Amino acid sequence: MSDAPASRGRGRPGGRLGDRPERPIEREGARLARLLAAPAWAMLLAVFLVPILGALWLSFRNETLGSFSPPRFVGWENYAGSLADPRFWESIRTTLLLLGLGLLVQMPLGVGLALLLHRRLRGTALFRTALIVPMLLTPVAVGLMWRFMLDTDLGIVNWALGELGAPEPNWLGSRWGAVWAVTVVDTWQSAPFVMLVTLAALAGLPPGPQEAAAVDGARPWQVFAFVTFPALLPALLVLLLIRVIDGLKMFDLLFILTQRGGPGTATQTLGMLIYNTGFGFFQTSRAAALGVLMVLLVLPAWLLWRRAERAS
Amino acid sequence: MRRGLLGDALSYAVLALAALVALFPVFWTVTTAIKARADTFALPPRLLDFTPTSRNFEAIWETRGFGRILLNTVVVTAGATALCVGVATLAAYALARSPRFGGRRPLEVGLVLVRAVPAIVLMVPLFQLTSRLGLYDSHLTLIVMIAAVNLPFATWLMASFVGQVPVALEQAAAVDGASPGRVLWHVVLPLLRPGLAATTILVALLAWNEFLIPVMLAGTGAKTLPVYVSGFVAARNLDWGPMAAASTVAILPIAVLTVLAQRSLVAGLQAGAVKG
Repeated sequence: MSDAPASRGRGRPGGRLGDRPERPIEREGARLARLLAAPAWAMLLAVFLVPILGALWLSFRNETLGSFSPPRFVGWENYAGSLADPRFWESIRTTLLLLGLGLLVQMPLGVGLALLLHRRLRGTALFRTALIVPMLLTPVAVGLMWRFMLDTDLGIVNWALGELGAPEPNWLGSRWGAVWAVTVVDTWQSAPFVMLVTLAALAGLPPGPQEAAAVDGARPWQVFAFVTFPALLPALLVLLLIRVIDGLKMFDLLFILTQRGGPGTATQTLGMLIYNTGFGFFQTSRAAALGVLMVLLVLPAWLLWRRAERAS
Repeated sequence: MRRGLLGDALSYAVLALAALVALFPVFWTVTTAIKARADTFALPPRLLDFTPTSRNFEAIWETRGFGRILLNTVVVTAGATALCVGVATLAAYALARSPRFGGRRPLEVGLVLVRAVPAIVLMVPLFQLTSRLGLYDSHLTLIVMIAAVNLPFATWLMASFVGQVPVALEQAAAVDGASPGRVLWHVVLPLLRPGLAATTILVALLAWNEFLIPVMLAGTGAKTLPVYVSGFVAARNLDWGPMAAASTVAILPIAVLTVLAQRSLVAGLQAGAVKG
């Protein structure tokens, strides 16, 4: 079965790999390559294709955990039910809200920090080390730390805000408080990633055009706006789409910080709704249908990502 | 010149502030872990003026099965890392060196899909499947699953490292009559050692941090540290000391790793983040 899709690629005229020079592995190569790729193939089949097919199968049945009636096929019932459920649409709005807010804060912040680090001032390598720490830490532990710090009465954040005379929001107990809490903590963990990838992209830019613009008398902000930023744009687009994909995946943080999408359903994203449906209410088939719908939601981001990668 | 100095000072100030924000929660957690209860809740907060205590660590150590949880985490992390890096290295070599072979395109598409599709979608059917096959709550299930979700990242990272090995060396060995298998084992792998190290460190880190898979597919038998740490979320306002201690145990190895292998980490994260 693995040969059929590949032969399509082989027959494509002017394929993007067609004009590379002959490499040693190529002669006996294709057979060896197939062999080397076989374990990866097996893994993808076992833990991806099988569960996806399983989800499709489940989504057309009415399986619930702990039900005694024998499960049967119910056609599109789970899909129709999901689409008619206001909680589904609310979860999509919440997903997009958290994603949008997160990106609006993380992207400028990460890119800004990268630009500062890219100046390579003495001693700033140390700052870089400090700044990548958050993205490496266990998300579950991060969620707990911030729960502790954002506690309305006993947390250090509201104490500091009180000392400064600023309002003390009810972070995890109100709808908008929770939305901002998730945005703050997600930014704390993800902005370093944006920073690091932007830093690599900056290092890869040829210095010539920027120096030329500076010599011609452009101010630093002009060099950035008219030379650096446009050159950086393809890489930033790929980065943005990776962040979209990872933002849609957000799970651990919500699980801990807002205790599975709370307060109420204030931060219940589609991923969290799937969890709560399947493992909170044990509606296995309904959760599977929601999962299939989520894949459809991720698909556009995925296609755009592939295009952006090809382009850059 | 004056503008330059001002700009530099501003850069330092912003970076220092950002570093402070990045590190403070870690400092706060680690110090909370060694505070007595009264110091934990003191406001204004006691940043450094408290008497350290090991009581919180003793408390979590005395939790039933904590030793087993640690052992599970180490076994699963080591197993998943070895499996993932091994499989990824072979696939990466095929992808980087062989422009066309049967199944190449679907493999590429499959890797991108695994990277893009949220794992929660797979968990609903996998929970049923593993329960029925008697694979629920086993180390093997966790190892294979965690290795698989990290396979795309590891494969792209290794492919970018393979791309840096000069093809001429392999051609020379091939001309001398070495079989492709021998070329891979004796020529390429030794040159890949720094790349392998970076990939291993990063995958180990991701495996150590993994929460979704063990919380869904393991019960008490194969419970890992992140799942144990997540248990503290139910304890409202009471158990902050032990909670901080548990979090500290989870993040300590990472902090050590960050200091020791910073260069590898940064290089790996930058190369593997964007598909090579």
